[in-house]
Amino acid sequence: MSATHRVNPITEIVDHKEIVVCAGSGGVGKTTTAAAIALQAALDGKKVAVLTIDPAKRLAASLGLKELTNEPSKVAKRKFTTAGLEMNGELWALMLDTKTTFDEVVTRYAPGPEQAERILENRFYRNISSTLSGTQEYMAMEKLYELYAGSDYDIIVIDTPPTRNALDFLDAPRRLTDFFESRVLRWFLMPYMKAGGGIFKVANVAATTFLRVVKRIIGGDVLEDTAEFFTSLEGMYDGFKERAREVSALLQSDATSFVIVTSPGEDSVMEATFFAARLNEAGLPFGALIVNRVHPRLGDGVDVKPRQLVKLEKLDGQGRLLAKLIDNEEAFMRVVRLEEKNLDALARKIPKHRWIRVPYLEQEAVDFQGLSQIANHLFEA
Amino acid sequence: MHVDEFLDPKILIVSGKGGVGKTTVAAALALVAARHGRKVCMAEIDRKGSLPKLFGGGEVTYEPRELSPGVWGLNIIPEDALAEYLRVQYHMSRISRVFRSTHFVDYITTAAPGLKDILVLGKIWYLEQDRDHGGGAHGFDTIIVDAPAAGHMATFLKAPQGLADAVRVGPVRRQSEWLDEMLTDPKRSRVHLVTLPEEMPVGETLETSTVLENDLGISQGPVFANAVYSRLLTDEETDEFEAIAADGKIDELCDVAKTAGIKLDNDDLDALQGYAHFLKVRRGIQSDHLKKLRRGTTQPVMELPFLFSAGLALPDIDTLADVIEEQMESL
Repeated sequence: MSATHRVNPITEIVDHKEIVVCAGSGGVGKTTTAAAIALQAALDGKKVAVLTIDPAKRLAASLGLKELTNEPSKVAKRKFTTAGLEMNGELWALMLDTKTTFDEVVTRYAPGPEQAERILENRFYRNISSTLSGTQEYMAMEKLYELYAGSDYDIIVIDTPPTRNALDFLDAPRRLTDFFESRVLRWFLMPYMKAGGGIFKVANVAATTFLRVVKRIIGGDVLEDTAEFFTSLEGMYDGFKERAREVSALLQSDATSFVIVTSPGEDSVMEATFFAARLNEAGLPFGALIVNRVHPRLGDGVDVKPRQLVKLEKLDGQGRLLAKLIDNEEAFMRVVRLEEKNLDALARKIPKHRWIRVPYLEQEAVDFQGLSQIANHLFEA
Repeated sequence: MHVDEFLDPKILIVSGKGGVGKTTVAAALALVAARHGRKVCMAEIDRKGSLPKLFGGGEVTYEPRELSPGVWGLNIIPEDALAEYLRVQYHMSRISRVFRSTHFVDYITTAAPGLKDILVLGKIWYLEQDRDHGGGAHGFDTIIVDAPAAGHMATFLKAPQGLADAVRVGPVRRQSEWLDEMLTDPKRSRVHLVTLPEEMPVGETLETSTVLENDLGISQGPVFANAVYSRLLTDEETDEFEAIAADGKIDELCDVAKTAGIKLDNDDLDALQGYAHFLKVRRGIQSDHLKKLRRGTTQPVMELPFLFSAGLALPDIDTLADVIEEQMESL
């Protein structure tokens, strides 16, 4: 097999897959990576949708997202022409709006418009999208499914929410459906659950004592809201669960590829390793690892002993200049070696032919030119 | 400014976007306080953070533990805080076990958002008031809170006001007022935002800073700009070197090196030039964002150096503490 030439993993993904999920810990350039992959695929002639979660303002502006909502909008062709890029396909972009997506889900699964209305107006429900952990992740998955099933994009690239834990979104649909179905909660809220006309009181001493305490602390209306929410949700659980199953099957299918984004820092490398293992366990297809913000290795390190450096510093003019240059080089080499050590540990878990390194670039990727510079690194053979 | 003045409020809340080095800065502030004889408590909030690793391992739990001389750490878990609250206020410890064994806190905090934040702030209040709840008083002089990421920050600090609006009477109303007083009194609490000299973090920091000032009335201290490439080389020096190279006079530099017994080959010279250039470019990008940060905030900006170290450890935190103390003097 020695004669086979190495295929760039990102090129391979973009050529063969329909869904690309970019995942990784916060601050490693996930959104930018997703945008760069989407841009390149579109330039090459595909119809692409990119779903971003929380893009930087300038990046959002270049994608035309400032005025955008939860529905995909096409980025105008002239924007690419202005940036000197030839667009052969279409780039559609959207920014996830958790609340709106959730409202749509409720409307879709409610047995009737009245029940949907009742849920949408419930206070407990209104708080869900901003406070319940996992909601954003769940809705990102919902949106992905909707885009996939309901439109004709060649490829959908999604960014994932900046969770504390890079893989939270994998469990989010299941966690949320479990949450809605909790028996323990029902048991506690029993006295508040409406049965027929009035409030159904059961002789459940523990639950009643418990509720008395809660009521004293946060008030009875909070409990009523909660109980009402869960009552209105009756009959919708199967829809939620079915959809969660479908999303999960889609993510496990051949159509999908996961791209792990990391920086060479110790924490994000650990997170990336953990994430790769989780993908494997969950039977989710891993496609590529992108290592962003790598300090470049320039040379093997200058061989200078501390006392030589002191001597050099004492020489005036050029000597001192040289000493400072060497000092600077040594400082960067320490960082380079540390990053290499971290990445070596990662290489033991994720084979290197699946890697792409993106060095620090000379400009920030906040416009199409910057993105296309990153894309050049990503798609380079 | 004298350190004592800087450490006047007992509660220092450190916040910033994920990945900006919030915990590192919080730890450096803790060392500064400990150096000046204070008993410091570092509070993480509901997470397994990098705090223990910075201080050489172990685990940080709800019960404070001494991590290094004078510096204690705890992890404020809302479930534990609720249990403590029920035990202290209502003498109920049995029922609190039920809370923990179910997802109850999750449900209730969804129903009444901000409750989790209230529980966390309540624990901070307990630490500040230093009452003895059975385990003895701790006697902390400074409490450094490694607060939620900047996005959630405003919600976190607004929680007492929200609760006071929702609950009109009773003990909870009174308690939420206490928390609000604690946060809005500049003699008791102050917020420090941490950022990186990059597009997104600076933008978010400025937004948070405005919200703190205009909407919440919570006092702020200097903003920390973390991981700024230090001036090992000035741009002028880089230019000078590049000019020498452009003039084809690199041999002269090699001769100078030789007098100090250093042999430089072409690869070495390329590396020296490459890293000088890298530093200049990166710092150029950073200084644009630092300018934007300084222009946008009413607070002084403290620059903390990028650490060219072989792995973050206590000596690095010490270095940062030195830098903070130095800059404190010129405030």
